[in-house]
Amino acid sequence: MSNEINCIALIGKQNNPLYLKNFSNTHPDLKYHYIAHTSIDVIEERVASGPKNLDLYLGLLYAMEDLAVYGYMTNTRVKFVAVVSVTEGIIRDAEMKTIFKKIHSAYLSQICNPFYNLDSQQSIDSKAFSRAIEAIGANTNTKTTMDI
Amino acid sequence: MSAFGNNEDTAIANTPYTQQRLVSESCMDLLLIEMVDTICRTTVVESEADSEAMFYKLDSLGYAVGQRMVERFTKDRPRFADTLDVVKFICKDLWSIMFKKQIDNLKTNHRGVYVLQDNSFRWFMRMSTDIGGADSAKKATPYIWFPCGIVRGALANLGVPSVVVAETSNLPQCTFQIKLAK
Repeated sequence: MSNEINCIALIGKQNNPLYLKNFSNTHPDLKYHYIAHTSIDVIEERVASGPKNLDLYLGLLYAMEDLAVYGYMTNTRVKFVAVVSVTEGIIRDAEMKTIFKKIHSAYLSQICNPFYNLDSQQSIDSKAFSRAIEAIGANTNTKTTMDI
Repeated sequence: MSAFGNNEDTAIANTPYTQQRLVSESCMDLLLIEMVDTICRTTVVESEADSEAMFYKLDSLGYAVGQRMVERFTKDRPRFADTLDVVKFICKDLWSIMFKKQIDNLKTNHRGVYVLQDNSFRWFMRMSTDIGGADSAKKATPYIWFPCGIVRGALANLGVPSVVVAETSNLPQCTFQIKLAK
């Protein structure tokens, strides 16, 4: 069937919420905030435990009910979380990696704004960034629903 | 041409190549020279303590630049193993990106102090004064505060808070000293 991104969340380096976008209408935003928050612990565990794992992409963090949560942490300790609804298809690592690379590019464009203070712990409030994230979600969701 | 310009990813539009927008190096040089000049000129120095204000302004500018540069240039790089790895990244990769060469000498006391020595600092290569020697070193010092900030910003964004100072005894050589916060 199809795998859809339900939510993309960005968490800052002090574990503060930076941005959250809910693409589905099955669950409220609050649920995804909760999921992102619990992902922080899992990410930190993964990074602390594996000196061999030097990849930015962290793979499947955990799964619950009908949702699978994937993680990615940049060298500057900014964490990206993507929540995918699990149906019957196999989710390939390569696909998730491209999604995270796109999120990283959008994040880079956002922080190059000289008026954005990286240390302030404020959430990202930029139309260009929102559009970029929406495009990532829409791109993946339409692509997968066409693979029948 | 200087590669200090933008590496714009148009990945979302699915173009296969990343377009590199380049800026002429002489423009970059002129901008930096004028930046230091303007800040030194417009900072009101009433007492000896105020000369720190110029250092602080240039350092803060460099800090913001360093944070963003490091975010962009560690994008495709695997995670850092430890602090020494981070400092080595600064000495090799960041210096190559900014100055097209690597740091010539890195020393550490293994207790949180690193000394980076650059024997031909690119931004000093065309500087000289009539008197020469210590006088030109003293006049060139404000121009080294911005790179201090860049190094501090780069380290901070990679999770290593620090204090960076720099000094030059004779152009074009300069030394950066990084003290890690405990």
